[in-house]
Amino acid sequence: MMDIIGLLLGLLLLWAFGIACLQALPSRMNRWTAAGGTTWMIGAGGMAGLFLATLWLRVLSLAGIRFSVVAITLPLLLATLALGGWAIYRSGIRGTLMASVREALGELSGRTLEGTGRILWRLLLAWLILRYAMLFSEVTTRPLFPWDAWTQWATKGRVWYELGRIVPFERADAWFAAGGSAYFDAGPHYPGTVGLIQVLSSNFLGRWDDTLMNLPFWMLSVAFVVAIFGALRAMEFSPLSALAGTWLIASLPLANTHVALAGYADLPLAMYFCAGILACLRWHKSREPGDAVLAVLLLAACPLLKIPGRIWALLALPALIVAWLPTRGPRIVAIGYAVAVFAFLLLAQTSPVIMGYHLHLDFSADWEALANSFLLYDNWHLLWYGTIAVALLGRRELLKPQVAPLTAVVVGGVIFLAFVLLFTNARDWVSDQSTVNRATLHMAPVVVVWMLVVFRAWARTLPTALPAPPVPMSLPAQGVIEPLSSLPATTPPPLIAP
Amino acid sequence: MSDPLAHPDEPQRALTGDEAPLPALETPAAHALAPRAPSTLSAVRTLWILASALFVVLLGYLAFAVPASWFPSSPPLEWSARDMTMPRGTGAVVNNELVVTGTDAAGQVYIAVVTDLKARDYATITWHARNVPADAKVHFLWRSDYAPKKIFSIPVVVEAGRLQPVVLAKDPGWLGHVTGIGLAMRGNLQQQFAISGVAAKPSGAFSVLQDRAGEWLAFERWNGTSINAVTGGDDVQSLPLPLLLAASMAVALAAMWAWQRYRPATDAVNIATAIAVMFVTCWLVLDARWTWNLARQIQATAAQYGHKDWVAKHMAAEDAALFDFVQRARAEMPATPARIFIASEPDYFRERAAYHFYPHNVFAEPRRNELPPASSMKPGDWMLVFQRRGVQFDPAAGKLRWDGGEPVSAQLKLRVEGGALFLIQ
Repeated sequence: MMDIIGLLLGLLLLWAFGIACLQALPSRMNRWTAAGGTTWMIGAGGMAGLFLATLWLRVLSLAGIRFSVVAITLPLLLATLALGGWAIYRSGIRGTLMASVREALGELSGRTLEGTGRILWRLLLAWLILRYAMLFSEVTTRPLFPWDAWTQWATKGRVWYELGRIVPFERADAWFAAGGSAYFDAGPHYPGTVGLIQVLSSNFLGRWDDTLMNLPFWMLSVAFVVAIFGALRAMEFSPLSALAGTWLIASLPLANTHVALAGYADLPLAMYFCAGILACLRWHKSREPGDAVLAVLLLAACPLLKIPGRIWALLALPALIVAWLPTRGPRIVAIGYAVAVFAFLLLAQTSPVIMGYHLHLDFSADWEALANSFLLYDNWHLLWYGTIAVALLGRRELLKPQVAPLTAVVVGGVIFLAFVLLFTNARDWVSDQSTVNRATLHMAPVVVVWMLVVFRAWARTLPTALPAPPVPMSLPAQGVIEPLSSLPATTPPPLIAP
Repeated sequence: MSDPLAHPDEPQRALTGDEAPLPALETPAAHALAPRAPSTLSAVRTLWILASALFVVLLGYLAFAVPASWFPSSPPLEWSARDMTMPRGTGAVVNNELVVTGTDAAGQVYIAVVTDLKARDYATITWHARNVPADAKVHFLWRSDYAPKKIFSIPVVVEAGRLQPVVLAKDPGWLGHVTGIGLAMRGNLQQQFAISGVAAKPSGAFSVLQDRAGEWLAFERWNGTSINAVTGGDDVQSLPLPLLLAASMAVALAAMWAWQRYRPATDAVNIATAIAVMFVTCWLVLDARWTWNLARQIQATAAQYGHKDWVAKHMAAEDAALFDFVQRARAEMPATPARIFIASEPDYFRERAAYHFYPHNVFAEPRRNELPPASSMKPGDWMLVFQRRGVQFDPAAGKLRWDGGEPVSAQLKLRVEGGALFLIQ
């Protein structure tokens, strides 16, 4: 029992460490007080903490210090106390930290809503809590199950935990040449972050247990949905809409499967990619250096989780270009994508191997398998129906300033997936359903957010017989909207239909 | 002062500092997904339209799917594995399943059931089978009093190891009193398959809907492909639930659009709100099914692994025998990591054994049943053999060789049924 308590405390420490790090980042404003600020800081803090802890393991290994509970937790605990103390000191001056937390708890209880809205809020929240309770039960009961998890991911975790340091995994020829100093598995060239996460939990637990070592993946998923809620609130979705959007992401069956059968890198990659993109957009809006650091940190996790993460992380660039240059940006990105496609087509003439994929210009898509994956099987509930419908309905809104950055990411992701799944040896894995959904999972959370944003933009264009909503002439930089009740009674509400 | 933002259907509210701000309308963004319409009324109306559309889509589906009478009076008939005979091929009834292990000398399997049914009352025959080889050529056979000396046949589709239902309503030979039915299979049966029963169904409207619901709610247990795909119930589905719900939404939206186009002044429903309500409702239906499946899986997982430590969990897993062998092998090996080569024909056992051996320095070819040449091994290396042909050991000479290659000196350290551990010397 003590070992399980140790594991839970260790994971909470990582979470607290991440929050403390985020709070310590330079900021001109209090990031807790903006809409969704508290939940974003808590969620993104959990994600950042876990990733930073894996970086700390790399530092320990480089320094020749053996992994141990003390070597891992003591510095993190001291850093958390120092950074957290500083944060409390700062917020004490501003007197807002506790108020922000109280406000977030109030929002969590749904007391800011009324009537049906409050009922829906509580039902959705209960549904989410039930889902994560079920996933917790599964992830803490079933030993490591899916194939790649024990052929190429946990192999590294086991070796590094038992040896107390990171040792190289090499391909077969290099393994033979190494004479015992290197290790071998089915994916020796794969990044080690998943293994390092398992090293962390094994150290907290004090032993190897290929069931409980996967608890951090559940924790990461919880942190992610909390962050997503905060991000949607910061994007000016109402609390209920933001919770509904969070639920759409948190209920994707394939994503749930990757939590329950944890041990693959695909879902962590999807979560860090989505949070990284949202952090980028947040930074573009706030221009806070702290938000930039967080965005870089979250996106840096992508290539360290899985090789395709290199491409996914790069997709932040088109998003930022479009955000920075709302007029010329879309054209620049479109040209960039066209050049990339042309370059791939040229490269395909020579059948190169890129990131392990054999690229060749031999298009023969298995449309039936693709339809099964996206539309007929329950991998995604109705995500791709919704995506197609929203893309058609909101086609005139796709390049509007608030939508275009995410559109750039989604289009880039679709081009990338289309190339991988239709023009490389990976298309064989479409037919047998072995990779198509996992590859798509990487961008699924971003697609949900994009779908919500496009739908909202389209909904705003609809004619209505009802009075139009008030549109503030200019929004504060951090996206804090003043409540209507704070307007002076004599101020005529703007843009009110007669 | 009255609140100009409140909807006309709602009571007017004062815009004072005492009241909580109107959360649903506090920002332009908040306006988008729900608040524009008188939400409850619109939502209820939208759900009624969606339910009606679902009904229409189901009617349309039934028009195609019901092969004969919509409301037949005959009850379904079923025969179990014990009612079956096997004139050709080899097999036996095990756990209420007829397990077919091989063909006869002519490469055929024939399974027969004596029946007594009126052909016109039964439109569909369904064989409950699993693990049927994908390349097997399967035919459904029957004999009737309409042409007693003739045996009729029709091909059966094999999909995902299952036999698809055979629809006979419009077959010209499906007449009279059917006195016997059977299955004929031809092909290279490299794997065993099992038949648990066969059913004759009138396949009326309710029966078809019941079958579809059974497919949606079938327990989709974790398996080797779960990490790659979630089918959403049965492996093979005639009408996937996401498709049905999406089609219903499309019909509902088309109806609403048409209504508002031609009767714009009456009962207008905000189309964005309607879409949001329908989408979330359909998503909820799918998620309820998924939650139910997850709950059953949790129960199954708890029954298999609950309240066990990690070693006991592995002893309760599918590869318990291999895990136990590896644990015993590890006890023979030094505590410090040593190089060990894994030899096993199935990829699964090779890789799984490797996983259980870490942090020893394991070499197992991930995708090929190959061992490195003897020259690449050195004294102090180990080799684990598990269910692999082509490995020979001469205890007298202390020589081990594999795949006809050069022998190496080795010591047998552990031997179990189908497996052995050697220390290279």
